[in-house]
Amino acid sequence: MARSPSKVVDGQTRPAPPSRFQSKALALLVVALIVWSVVTIDVDLERLIDLPARLGDSIRRMFLPPDWGYTGRAVEGMIESIQIAWIGTLIGAALSLPLGFLGAKNVSAGPVSSIIRQILNGIRAIPELVLAVVIFIPILGLGPFAGTMAIGIHSIGTLGKLTAEVVEGVDPGPVEAARASGASQVQTLRWGVLPQVLPDIVAFWLYRFEINIRAAAILGIVGAGGVGAILQNTLTFRRWELAGTTVIVIIIATIAIDYVSAAVRRRIIEGGAHRQRADVIEQPELAVT
Amino acid sequence: MTATPLQADAGRPIRPPRSRLLPLGLVVSAAITWWAASDDFGVGFSLGEIIDNLTRGHRVLREVLSPNWAFFPQTVDPLLETFKMAIIASVIGCGVALPLSFLASKVTTPNSVTYLVDRGVLNVIRALPDLLYALVLVTAIGIGPLAGIIALILFNLAVTAKLLSETIDGVDTGPSEAAWAGGASRTQMIRSSVFPQILPNYIAYVLYVFELNVRASAVIGLVGAGGIGFVLQVQMGFFAYENVAVIVAELFVAVFLIELVSIRLRRRLV
Repeated sequence: MARSPSKVVDGQTRPAPPSRFQSKALALLVVALIVWSVVTIDVDLERLIDLPARLGDSIRRMFLPPDWGYTGRAVEGMIESIQIAWIGTLIGAALSLPLGFLGAKNVSAGPVSSIIRQILNGIRAIPELVLAVVIFIPILGLGPFAGTMAIGIHSIGTLGKLTAEVVEGVDPGPVEAARASGASQVQTLRWGVLPQVLPDIVAFWLYRFEINIRAAAILGIVGAGGVGAILQNTLTFRRWELAGTTVIVIIIATIAIDYVSAAVRRRIIEGGAHRQRADVIEQPELAVT
Repeated sequence: MTATPLQADAGRPIRPPRSRLLPLGLVVSAAITWWAASDDFGVGFSLGEIIDNLTRGHRVLREVLSPNWAFFPQTVDPLLETFKMAIIASVIGCGVALPLSFLASKVTTPNSVTYLVDRGVLNVIRALPDLLYALVLVTAIGIGPLAGIIALILFNLAVTAKLLSETIDGVDTGPSEAAWAGGASRTQMIRSSVFPQILPNYIAYVLYVFELNVRASAVIGLVGAGGIGFVLQVQMGFFAYENVAVIVAELFVAVFLIELVSIRLRRRLV
């Protein structure tokens, strides 16, 4: 390779700026992809022009005013969704805890941890709706139990991955101290590792619960229980005012649970007044979904 | 030896008081679990039912495990449509999210009213899952990719704005103080000192959202919002599980490849 040309500025030799060719080529590729998508997507221009009017019309029918008499039925459905999410999260938590430890390189043997990690990745890639339709509805029939299992199994993927990552990040000090004083492998995990990782892991469980609330709200569309079925029915029969009520119930319940869960998470991670930690994992969202 | 127990204890720190919240939290959790799992009030959880019926799913599972690869050519166009929907929705959703995130962070928001209103709107948008948007939009504007794109835009907007506004909250305030001191306007301050700091994260979020969109396409298609999910819905309606398996496998590969590319890109950026 030829040496890059250098400039002499103020009597000093400056290195030439690095080549921008790669990033320019990448940017060009991205723009080309966007243009291709916009040009070839199968959307009528007519419908696009119609869009604001039709959306406005639907929103007006849903919310001006919603049918408050339907609130009871919508709340019932939402409660079933919350139950599905809660039990599903617990199933995911219980199964992901041992898998997470087995998937951590510093705790289990090398090949075991890679195999477990691959299994967790595989589970993560199948959406809960597909799990419900392909596995749990055939086994358990239509209803909330099938949805619960689908959410539980799908949750193992992300929870296991996060658990393994937290376990890999522990401070080795306490682990060495436990070993040095003659602890067995299990005792080392119990007293050296678990106290360090438990707050983070429980916070992930709660965070997953928030995500699962949303997942449980849609499972009803395939007949796996929860509020989704109610929304689908009202929309099939064009009962917009009933759909509006249902949407409002879903939004309020979801925001309320997010709020409570975030407060509990903060308390768990930060601890009480006597225990302050700086590295609060507020939003593991990027790693979770 | 005459070492007294007193001396051994002297160096120890005082034990922190036991939390009174912990037992309460455990009891509440146990009560919720009992209620939610019970047959009468909840989802009717029973391990026995799973074990008893485990074999009932074997026909479906057997078909899923023997995919009909001849079905593959029919899925190429819908899969491309899924990509196009994801690209358009990511560009628009993340584009709109950028200004909204600046309004939703205390570091860059002009006043507390815009801050609170913006956060409220974003929270409401975020509360509904993408599939419910798709369901409502398909009913409102008809079956097809347009409904899917708008559902994805709303979802992307909510996710990106949340992640990005939190990133903005965490920027180093040194450069922005320098910009203020140098007499910059708010826009100039954001442009010169905040934006360069968050740009790598922003691009990482865009890639992440794009990946989520390809994943989500399987489910939003179920209600008629276009893409590969629509084919999935049709094949499930026919109980053609050997074709369903092909689609699931394709999605698996697509998501895996996108993840691979975006991890490499993110590593270069962040």
